[in-house]
Amino acid sequence: MRWWTFIGSKAMRGPAATKAQQGTADPGDGTTRHDMSDDRIVRPRLRQALCALALATLPGCSGVQHVLAPAGTDAGFLANLFWIMLAGAVVLWIFMNGLMVYVTRINVRQMSPKKAEALIIGGGIVFPTVVIACLLSYALAAMPDMRAEGTGTRLKVTGEQWWWRVEYWPEGADAPIVSANEIVLPAGSRSEIALTADKVIHSFWVPALGGKTDMFPGRETRMSLEPLEPGTYRGQCTEFCGDSHAWMAFNTVVLPQEEYDAWLENAATDAVAPEGEAATRGREVFFAEGCGACHQVRGTAATGKVGPDLTHLGSRTSLAAGTLPLDEPSLIRWVRDAKAVKPGAEMPAYDHLSDDDLSDLAAYLEGLI
Amino acid sequence: MSWPKILDRHQSLWFLITGPTLWALHFCTVYAMTAIYCEKLGDEAGPLRLGILGVTLGALVLIGITAWLSWRQWDYTDDWDYEHDGLTVEDRREFIGHAGFLLCVVSVIGVIYVALPAAFVGSCV
Repeated sequence: MRWWTFIGSKAMRGPAATKAQQGTADPGDGTTRHDMSDDRIVRPRLRQALCALALATLPGCSGVQHVLAPAGTDAGFLANLFWIMLAGAVVLWIFMNGLMVYVTRINVRQMSPKKAEALIIGGGIVFPTVVIACLLSYALAAMPDMRAEGTGTRLKVTGEQWWWRVEYWPEGADAPIVSANEIVLPAGSRSEIALTADKVIHSFWVPALGGKTDMFPGRETRMSLEPLEPGTYRGQCTEFCGDSHAWMAFNTVVLPQEEYDAWLENAATDAVAPEGEAATRGREVFFAEGCGACHQVRGTAATGKVGPDLTHLGSRTSLAAGTLPLDEPSLIRWVRDAKAVKPGAEMPAYDHLSDDDLSDLAAYLEGLI
Repeated sequence: MSWPKILDRHQSLWFLITGPTLWALHFCTVYAMTAIYCEKLGDEAGPLRLGILGVTLGALVLIGITAWLSWRQWDYTDDWDYEHDGLTVEDRREFIGHAGFLLCVVSVIGVIYVALPAAFVGSCV
């Protein structure tokens, strides 16, 4: 029995209803509908599924990637804007539904044409026009501040498929400090971020810190962020960019100014030499396999620019653009077959390496702090 | 001279389309001005904002004139009549005036909303 037949059967009386409830009602086309009890089972299940879905989404109301858990000036404003608009919508909903109940249930009588006209013009034209103009003005007035030029750190982020090339430009620097797949920002000051893309359009968004900005090949866009709370916040590409778009994320680490200065100083240095036998062997594997053709490890012969810079890989909080945690099992998994983790990734599989080689290589990479 | 044709307003749809057309033209003009100015003439948008103000005032005046003509054609204050579903020439004429007037009101709101960002955002960046 289809849902409309089910609803209709509530109004049925007598033999027809009995027949329908027995599941033998003839729809008139020579077939017999299935038993109504199926619907009675399905409906509570549907309700349960919806409740479960609602519960499953609740954890999304907090955490490192949430617009309503702001940790920066811009995200704070956007969250306020959301709550103000939500409050306005709730008030409007209650008012309109209350009015409907009032005129159809509580005070049912004909309204004079003049009153009806006043209601339509006042409630249908003047009121929404004024409300929307106020909300629009409130949001527009904040835009210049949110797009203010950064006064502290300057960095450039390039969207690649499917990772992030990051360049820090300290004041007066001739060349950038290159990193990848993680952004580090100082708390309490506005950082200027230039954005571009390599082959396809991407979009840069750290929900807990501010709005998003698209990244275009051959064109530079910009944004600025003013984080306030030190912590780690997740960012995500928000413009579909190919096979592994969903795996194109990154962590944004916000540090107090002094810690940020120390971090930047370290980031500018060359890679440290491997410590221990495993890491030393791993370094040999790294160069024997030609990893340096695509990856740069400053201070070594690895000068490739195709893939992410690995100079300080071990100091990052995630691997493969926010896809895996940065630990030995993940490094092994990634090097053995990157495409299995990230469809479409250009890095070839190194599944011919022995477990020992992979383990040593992971030790070397983890030691690049 | 086709001017006397204005007496046959019940046959003309001009009042229906003039307001929204001016709104559309205003939108396109502001969009094009902004794109060209910001691409070619730099980040400070002072002259651009003045230009948008001028174009907006022009559009509002033209829509205002259309609204006034539509209002007269509606002839509301003559008989306070806002029902025009009869099959007479007067019904048809007043309906077109009434609808044209309301479309002008919507167009005024649209034009103001389109121009509003220029009142708050002072640079192209």
